[in-house]
Formats: sequence, structure tokens, C-alpha cells
Amino acid sequence: MSTYFRRFYSSFTSHVVDIPPRLLAFLLFLLLLTFPVTKPKFTHLLLLALANTGAIFAASWDLLVGRCGQMSMGHALFFGMGAYSTGMLSIYLHWPIWVTIPLSMVVSVLLALAVGFPCLRVKGPYLALVTMSFPLITTGVIFYFKDITMGERGLSGLDRFFPFLPYEQQYLAQYYFTLLLLLASGIILYKIANSHTGIVFISILDDDVASKASGINITKYKLMAFAISAGFASMAGAVNAHMINSANIGMLSLTTSFLPIIITFWGGIGTIYGPIAAAYILQILDRYVLTDVVPLETHWHMMIYIVLIIVLIIKWPRGLARYTTDELEDLEEARDIDERGPRIWKKYKKKEKK
Amino acid sequence: MHLLEVENLTKRFGGLTAVNNISFHVDESEIVGIIGPNGAGKTTLFNLISGFLKPDSGIVKLRDENIIGLAPYKIVNKGIARTFQVVRPFRHLPVIANVLVALKSPRGSKKIEWLKTPIRKAVDMLEDVGLTELMLEPAENVGHGDLKRLEMARALATEPDLLMLDEPFGGLNPLETDFLMKSIQRIHLDHPTRGIVIVEHKLYALMKIVKRVIVIHEGKKIAEGKPEEIAKNKKVIEVYMGKAM
Repeated sequence: MSTYFRRFYSSFTSHVVDIPPRLLAFLLFLLLLTFPVTKPKFTHLLLLALANTGAIFAASWDLLVGRCGQMSMGHALFFGMGAYSTGMLSIYLHWPIWVTIPLSMVVSVLLALAVGFPCLRVKGPYLALVTMSFPLITTGVIFYFKDITMGERGLSGLDRFFPFLPYEQQYLAQYYFTLLLLLASGIILYKIANSHTGIVFISILDDDVASKASGINITKYKLMAFAISAGFASMAGAVNAHMINSANIGMLSLTTSFLPIIITFWGGIGTIYGPIAAAYILQILDRYVLTDVVPLETHWHMMIYIVLIIVLIIKWPRGLARYTTDELEDLEEARDIDERGPRIWKKYKKKEKK
Repeated sequence: MHLLEVENLTKRFGGLTAVNNISFHVDESEIVGIIGPNGAGKTTLFNLISGFLKPDSGIVKLRDENIIGLAPYKIVNKGIARTFQVVRPFRHLPVIANVLVALKSPRGSKKIEWLKTPIRKAVDMLEDVGLTELMLEPAENVGHGDLKRLEMARALATEPDLLMLDEPFGGLNPLETDFLMKSIQRIHLDHPTRGIVIVEHKLYALMKIVKRVIVIHEGKKIAEGKPEEIAKNKKVIEVYMGKAM
């Protein structure tokens, strides 16, 4: 037992404590894990739980676009399909949540393969336009089958997570559930992105002609990225739908498609952990700061995001996460004054003058 | 049976016939050079063989199997690997990961020796071309000469039966040219059954390593033979130097 513990401890120190960005991620996770100790309102718990699913959604988009370079402007398709398929299964067939969520993931992966096969023949901006059209088409289909999908009202009265718990504790339980889900899917996505397959994804992003010349079947790998991304996005959508008890047309809207894009550009595209951190920033800004602290009307929110994005892109073009990790790594390396760069030098010289 | 057999290959771009009825063959363990002035259609010929372009007519056979119409990645997995005239590294990836990409292809992963990890194999490939020092450097920080060698390591990672090098010495200084020449010769000695095709402008470097030269001018094959014969061929001199006044 003690040997296992020691081995775990040594691997923990070498994999987490020695690498500042990972230590930061670990501390953030600890912070989120201990957040309920402050006895927050249940609305705040729901807010953070929704941020967790939003983070999964954004990270899945980042794997597809930041790592594989397949510009998708219609990721809401998978988010919405996840929500709708789990909603329909649980309302009409009364299947339990633990069956419908994995099934909705399967549905979305199959849909991604069906959609991806024609989609991935086009590249760049054309691909963005084609993918953008699919959620719109799906919205049309949903309006057409009004009697099953309830049209614009959306499906409501979905099962809740942990209905056997008292009302207040349900929120706490689903907060922890989504947090663990985020941790698991974040680690899986990060591992995929940094695996041998992930290297091939980056090669497609960099130069698809050269990857063809290296013997890579790029259609297969693009579809793989599409399917993995769709699976995680639909899981986020399904969990989200069960938390707010409804699957509505807003989940397929353009706003939902642009949400992961905004989040990923804030966090740092292609990092996987960046969007996860930025999802919390956006959620807290959107649902807490701009509603409770400084109450603003909803249409002003988008304006503020846009201004923030412009500022961020000018100031930190590689994203918040990369900026932070770069700074941390600089701090770690620059122990000698000579290595610390001009800023520290100036301070040093000022002190000397005094 | 020849390793590679090209029969009556023709490719037209609108009114321009880039490759006009070219036939040649490459045998196992042979180094063949293809030379010709600018715009002669050498790179087009390469693109036709490696599947990046579809010919209007003609046949390309690899070990008596027609490979016309196959996708480029399938041709690589059949055993023809190529490099590009203008280097195409994966700029975001470190040098070693560039080679690892090729090792993820079906042929590349099959050819990894027993009990060897892909990373070990990639290091071996980089050793062959002398790039082990730059292993972890991102490809965007690596100089042009080293990228040329990286391209070759990436092509070699799939253990091709036929290696096609498109201007491997282009833009290299004499020292680098010498080094690359030696490594091509070493690769040839290590894998005696492998055929190598080299397209090149620098005749000085090329003539030293090849056994047979094919000269192309305006899409047509005008001469074929040993390097010494080609150097004395009147037609070839005319093409390169212009007609005697």
C-alpha cells in the first residue's frame, strides 16, 4: 500500500508539481473542488456547472480546429443534437439518464461521420460556411416535425440528475458530477491531442499535401477528429439539457456555434486547457459580473465580448493560457538576473542608483 | 520485371503539353537522374508518378502493378516516397515529430522493427541524415539545408522501395551538398534493393552519384544513358548551352 502511495506521489511530483502550467491547472481544480465550502447560492452552483459543460464544448471545438485545422462554424449541431436526442429518448421512451447520454453521444458521432464525409472535401473558409449551414438545416427539420420536437418551444421537463436527493443537494451533486466529467474529458482530449494521432492532426493543420506525401490518409484522420469532437460536444449538450431541464432551439443557434470560438480565442487556440479556463471567465462574466454586479441588458454582452476579443488579440494574440504559461515558464527559468530580460534589468539598475 | 515502369505518359495543361509521351524504367538498386532545363516538365513527371496529378494518358507500373489513379497516400503505402522541390515541413511540429507523422502511416508503422518504439525508429531515421542534434527544435526554426534533409528522413521513414528526390541539392551550399551526396550514397548502400530517382539542376553533384541519366526538354525525353555519354551528347549540350553560331 505504501509503495503504491509513494509511486503515486513521485509520479505526481514529476508530472504535476514540476511543470508550472500543470500545477496551476491542478490548483484551479482544487479551488473549484472546494468552492462549495463557501455555501454558495444554488444559482451560482448551476452557473459553474454550466461553465463545466461549456468548457467541455469549447475544448472539443479546440481539438477539431486548433489541432486538426478543420474550421467548424457549426459546432452547435452536435451540442444541439446531443440535447435533442437525449431529450427525446428520455421523454418518449422514459430511458434513464445514464443510458440516454451515451446514446446521444453515439448518435452525434454517427451524424458527424455522415456530415463530415461530404464536408471535409472542402477546405478553409468554404468548410466554415458548409459546417455553418448544418445547424440551420437541423433547425428547419425540427420546425418541420413540430409534433415530436415541440418546434420553437423545445422539449421541456427532462429528467434531472440525482432526483433522489433533496432539492438543494441536487445542484451540489450535479456540480461535482460535471466537474469530474470535465476533468475526465479534459484529460482525454489533452492526451489525444498530444498522442501520436495528435501529431498527425497537427501535420494536417500545417500542410495537408505533405501529410499525404507521408502516406497519411488525411480523410480518415479528419473524420476521426470530427467524430471525437462531436462526441464530446454532444456529451456537453446532453448534460447541459438535463441540467436546465430542456432542449430548445437556442442550442442549435448561431450564438451557440460562436460560443466555443469566442472561448477558444480567449483561452488560446490549440492548447485544449486554454478554452477550459476561458469558459469559466466567460461564464462568470456573462452570468455574474454583467448581470449581478453590473446589470446590463443582454445585447450589450456581445458588444463587450467583441471589445474584449479585440483587446486580447492585440495584447495577447496567442491567448490567455499561453501567455500565462509562458510567463510562468519564464519565471521558472530566469533565476539568474542576466536571463531575466530588460524589465528586470531596469529595476536592478534603479536600485543601484538609489 | 522493372521496379518502376513509365509508359507513354502524357499530361496537358490547356494548350501546354507539360509531359509528352515519356517512357522510362527504373530497376531495383539503381540510381537514376532526371535532368533538364527549367520548365522541362520534371516536377510534373514527379507529380504524375506520385499521384498528385492525374495523367491524360499513359501507364505507371510499380512491380507490374498499375498505380495510375490511386490517391497519393496509397501510392506512398505501396512503396514510392517522394520529397518536394520547395520544402514542406510541418512547421508547428518539432523535427522528430515530422518523422513520426510518416511512421503513423500504414506502411511506416508496419516497417517498424520488432521491439522498437516509433520514437526510437524516428531517431534512427534522423541519424541517417545527420539531424539528431536538431531533434527537438520546432521545424520553423530550422534552416533550409536541414529541412531538405528532414524531407528526406520523412520520406525514408516509410522504407520505400523507390525513393524520388525532387531537387535535393536545391539551395544548398557546397558543404551541405557534399554531405547530402554522401548520405544518399550511404542510404543506397544500406538498402541495396531500393531504387532512387533524382531530379536535379546541379549536374556536378548529380553526375557523381547516378548510374543512368534521362534528359527531358519541353516535355520530351531527348536522351538517356550513362553520365559520361550524356555529357558528350550533342543534343543535350544544345539544350543547355544553345546552338553553335
